[in-house]
Amino acid sequence: MDTPVIDFHAHLGNWGRHAMLGDLERYVEIMDRAGIDKACVNCIFLGDARAANDVVAEFVAKRPDRFIPVAFVTPHYPEETIPELERAFLQLGMKFLKIYPDYFRKPNDDPAYFPIYEWLNERGLAVMSHPSYPFESPGITVKRKFAALSERFPNVKWVLAHAGGSGNTETLEAARDLPNVYLETCGSGATFGAIEKGVRIAGADRMLFGTDMALLDARHALGKIVTADISHADKRQILGLNAIELLGLDK
Amino acid sequence: MGNVDLDFKPSVPVLDSNMSLGRRHDKPVNIDSAEGARNEMELAGIGRALVYAPHAAIFDSGEGNRALIETISNSDEFLPQFVCNPSFDDLSELAAHVDSEGVRSVRMFPGLHNYPFRPWVIGPWLDWLAETGIPVWLPVDFELIGPIPSTNPIDPRDIYDTLSQRPEIKAVLSGAKYNDASWALPLVRSLPNLDFEISRFVPGGGITSVVDAIGPERVLFGSRFPDSAISPQLFSLHRNGLSEDALRAICAGNAERLMGIG
Repeated sequence: MDTPVIDFHAHLGNWGRHAMLGDLERYVEIMDRAGIDKACVNCIFLGDARAANDVVAEFVAKRPDRFIPVAFVTPHYPEETIPELERAFLQLGMKFLKIYPDYFRKPNDDPAYFPIYEWLNERGLAVMSHPSYPFESPGITVKRKFAALSERFPNVKWVLAHAGGSGNTETLEAARDLPNVYLETCGSGATFGAIEKGVRIAGADRMLFGTDMALLDARHALGKIVTADISHADKRQILGLNAIELLGLDK
Repeated sequence: MGNVDLDFKPSVPVLDSNMSLGRRHDKPVNIDSAEGARNEMELAGIGRALVYAPHAAIFDSGEGNRALIETISNSDEFLPQFVCNPSFDDLSELAAHVDSEGVRSVRMFPGLHNYPFRPWVIGPWLDWLAETGIPVWLPVDFELIGPIPSTNPIDPRDIYDTLSQRPEIKAVLSGAKYNDASWALPLVRSLPNLDFEISRFVPGGGITSVVDAIGPERVLFGSRFPDSAISPQLFSLHRNGLSEDALRAICAGNAERLMGIG
């Protein structure tokens, strides 16, 4: 069946420890074999966010028909974040933001991120990060955290990386109950029944197909959605229709 | 527009070479009955599965192996795989049980059972494997939940030293993950008697890299059901540009040849 397939979670750069190669031709070959139309690519491997965003922009410029650029900023250098957001979105045409709180040892509800969220909130943009961290405050839950963030920054769309394939009930319920929370599906496992559970609790309209390419194989990630015991309509939403709507892409 | 078959089913016969069957003490099992597993296999479009009992791995191999035989009850879809623990089991008893039930493969857990895969620990078991031609599956690790959760990962140095000294023994490295690629691929490339089961091997381009390293004739499809879904890796295999012969070999033929079954 012809249906738009958009990978919401792909990385650029090399990672020798895991034999990850950020080679454009290889991405395109794997996407072609898998049946993926476009991949949203970010670069989180560089301490200099400007350099990282340039990597993304140059990569996407070679195949704008296949890749969607995603911005990155680092709160390690707070004075750089807002100017770099402006450059990344307004000059380089990035479509949403990826942050990586794991690097900062501060969870994504730390006030250090608030200027970033305020900037996104003013423009109604999306940000993707992991849902939770081992260094969270005691007693914090995903739902409580994103309820507070959603209240403070109501126009931001919060995309929880990996959460759509985790089968974690509490995280799925957060998406069910909070209108601006979405669940991306990638991960190295293929937990039995996780996609079906995500659709049952959060709804297919809250789930976004992702691969973690090129760290992980996009075909396995796609297979998790394609072979899940859910309707064709749900599969089509997860595979691409939700991303088109969230990012305002052409159909 | 992505051309994706939303009703994907495998195009070749499939023998899943990494399934477990039965309940566990440490967590509810997604599908814990033969009937449930059979239903999932039918949904996934696969005909047969090599199954072991988790109880045999975690607590008592003899008891678990016997329970497995009762559970599958001569079903054609399920091929029993016995767990053996050389640090605990009586070899002659286990060998007799393997023989009487027509079991064609065994599974050893050096990490879980806490012994080095070395001749000075398992010498007689290696002799038995060599004499019978029964292949041994070697899982990279085994996840436990509870107060004594940790198990050791498999030590690739033990596998390399022992299997290179015993080339007549047939073995399968099972459940290597994306972050095991740095040692797992060189290991199977170095040992012609060690095949590779791919249930958890999902690094970018992973299937291509393992096929390039050792050829399709030494790669086995497995799912790790019921912890994992059966079909995602099968879908991936069908999207890797493999020839039909290679696909048939990986999906069933290689496991059949290893175990001497048709």
